[in-house]
Amino acid sequence: MKLTIEHLSKQYRRDFWGLRDFDLELGPGVTGLLGPNGAGKSTLMRMLATITQPTGGTIRWNDTDIARSPDTLRAVLGYLPQDFGVYPNLTGLEFLEYMAAIKGLDAKSARRRIDELLTVVNLVHAAKRPLGGYSGGMKQRVGIAQALLNDPQLLIVDEPTVGLDPEERVRFRNLLSDLSGERIIILSTHIVSDVEATATEIVVVNKGRKLQHAAPEKLLQMLENKVWQWLAPSEELSAIKQKHILSGTVRRNDGIQVRVVSDAAPTSTAQCVSPSLEDVYLSLVSRNGAGQ
Amino acid sequence: MNALRILYHMARADFLERTRRYSFLVMLGLVLWLGYLSASGQFRMRVPPDYLGVINSAWVGATMTITVTLLLGWVGFYLVKGSVSRDYETGVGQIMATTPLSRPLYTVGKWFSNFAVLGLMILILLGVGIAMNLLAGTAEFDLWALTAPLLFIALPCMAIVAAVAVLFETIAWLRGGLGNILYFFIFIFAMVASAEGMLSPAAADKSYSSFLDFAGWRLIGESVTHAAQMAYPESAGGFAFSITDLANPKMFVWNGIDWTAEVILPRFFFLLAAIGVALLAAVFFDRFNPSRVLPAKNRPTASNHPEPAPAPAVMPVSIPHLTPLTGPSDHFRFAALFVAELKLFLKGQRWWWYAIALGLIAAQLFSELEITRILLVVSWTWPILILGGLGSRETRHDTRQIVFSAPHPLLNQLPAAWLSAFTILALMGSVALVRFILAGDTLGLLGWITGVLFIPSLALASGVLTGSSRAFEVIYILWMYMLTQKVPQFDFIGMTPESTWYIYAPLAGVLLIAAAFARQRQLTNRRVSR
Repeated sequence: MKLTIEHLSKQYRRDFWGLRDFDLELGPGVTGLLGPNGAGKSTLMRMLATITQPTGGTIRWNDTDIARSPDTLRAVLGYLPQDFGVYPNLTGLEFLEYMAAIKGLDAKSARRRIDELLTVVNLVHAAKRPLGGYSGGMKQRVGIAQALLNDPQLLIVDEPTVGLDPEERVRFRNLLSDLSGERIIILSTHIVSDVEATATEIVVVNKGRKLQHAAPEKLLQMLENKVWQWLAPSEELSAIKQKHILSGTVRRNDGIQVRVVSDAAPTSTAQCVSPSLEDVYLSLVSRNGAGQ
Repeated sequence: MNALRILYHMARADFLERTRRYSFLVMLGLVLWLGYLSASGQFRMRVPPDYLGVINSAWVGATMTITVTLLLGWVGFYLVKGSVSRDYETGVGQIMATTPLSRPLYTVGKWFSNFAVLGLMILILLGVGIAMNLLAGTAEFDLWALTAPLLFIALPCMAIVAAVAVLFETIAWLRGGLGNILYFFIFIFAMVASAEGMLSPAAADKSYSSFLDFAGWRLIGESVTHAAQMAYPESAGGFAFSITDLANPKMFVWNGIDWTAEVILPRFFFLLAAIGVALLAAVFFDRFNPSRVLPAKNRPTASNHPEPAPAPAVMPVSIPHLTPLTGPSDHFRFAALFVAELKLFLKGQRWWWYAIALGLIAAQLFSELEITRILLVVSWTWPILILGGLGSRETRHDTRQIVFSAPHPLLNQLPAAWLSAFTILALMGSVALVRFILAGDTLGLLGWITGVLFIPSLALASGVLTGSSRAFEVIYILWMYMLTQKVPQFDFIGMTPESTWYIYAPLAGVLLIAAAFARQRQLTNRRVSR
């Protein structure tokens, strides 16, 4: 099971690239796709989900070019788009039955799978209510369920935790971890904690290009002995921001506790602390400039 | 002053948003074409049977005005309707609702923007008229004679259309397809009222109320008739607007309407009436407050009435086991998909919808064969709002990304959707089919087969191509109306012996191919995604 992306590009206008010369090779596991708004994450996701055609480059699923043969991938694909709608007059159950039919599941498998998925996404109680009456978080859970209907080998989820309450977010993270054994999962988000909890590999994207692709441990090693924390007077905050990559602040009654990424100790009082993925992400994106 | 500024910016933003849409360009093309047909004398006013005005500035201006009020008055409504709905759908309305913007200001602003769009079209039409009049050079160019009817007749008429569009959008049950259909009949009725007494010489003595003549047909018609009768005293009068060729027309000169204050002032009444309708719309406008919308019993229609989420305390955070699927999942299971599509079509209809549908089917059994044909037209018109969703549902509900990323969307979902519409129509006309077979009515049978093939194909093609149900609703209701009027060119179901069903049967195939081609493009085109 292998997903190979080579020199992938998407040009929207003459002077605007959504994605440019992007290479990636993925095997089973959860890959977290991190990047600021407009980095090109959704563009990449839509091309992987066969919704959008690339301008250049190739995407191969087990060595089959999906631009030439999209149905090869579609048969084993589960996709949760960032923005999607539902048919308001159908109940949650009917919508999943409809999607199961579209995905080609036989009636028996579909029924069992839908029952299990409704339990997984905690919608058993609402399964027979029209979707028009669902809250945003409930619709998002229906979206998650439809993506898992065909037991996909490639699961692409774009900002899946948007609209979910904290407990549902934890459930979803656990679900992704449970599913990650023998399938490729691509999780796109700008919420670093979601990736931190589930991803076995992380890809950082900015301005349509890949900045880094590594295991979380490797990324954390990059900032070993480079993250500093100290208590500074509030009036110095602006100067600190100018000089260093600021990754966190906590206001206290005796000043402001700042956390920065820096090759050397910024002040004599600064203490070296363990890096987090948030530090790594901010460091990579800041060095590459803001998003598009 | 602040209100005027708000009004200006609201109308401006709305105007720019709409004029940058593809549909506006299509409409613009249509207006240019209509302008050409009017100015070149292919659309013609005449006094029956064959009295025709010499093409001069006044004649061109009046012909264009009649064209505008007839065609733009009808289609223009569908073109401008949608700006309030867009504010609901995009969520912009909820942002607006948090500002001091008042309800009357909002509806008048929307009216003004609708009016600006339609006014721009009249301006373009005027440009075509001027160009054509100067190029043709058959008579002396008179800018006032050309402009005045457009200014005093077409423009107030468009003001009314713009206001009615706002009114329909602020009344929840008129916002969708039902409003589109209802407007068609209201428009037909209003045009008849406007021209009352003018279309037939026998009725010419009926009293004339300039306050009913919103389309100005009677105002123009009376003046034209008078000129014809001056030139040809034997003329019986009357007024017609047609595209028919006349072999030997009897020509007369018409120099236009004498625009006295008595004539002009009633025209301003329509402008005021339009503002009145826009203000009336404010009464019905809920200011994007979902709590003012009372949902139908047992039928939640929007996400603005969300069900409460379950209490977090009872939710297990651990994940139940998911059984892996064993068999391949990419089989072509057409029957299941067909049933799912059929369910999708019929879900959300109220009990009375089914009751009327059953009543229409039953009525086909007990009526005379000629009446059965009419009942068949009505039965096939009944599911118009359902058929309108064919091909456009994925865009309307934004399910494209999940539906199109399933295997073989072109070969599976599209034919299943078409077949479900076919099935609904076949059921609606089932008794008529049996009657035609038993009576040995070959024409009825051929027309029935053509109907069940052509209607879903037309719905699918217009839905896929436009991404909206509106185009189909507008075309279909006109088409079915023409069928009841037994116009042979529109007759695809064998209403008349001159039925042209043999054109529509292959056309169904062409439409299906067009729909498949367009969907294929959508599947690979970037426009599918946001």
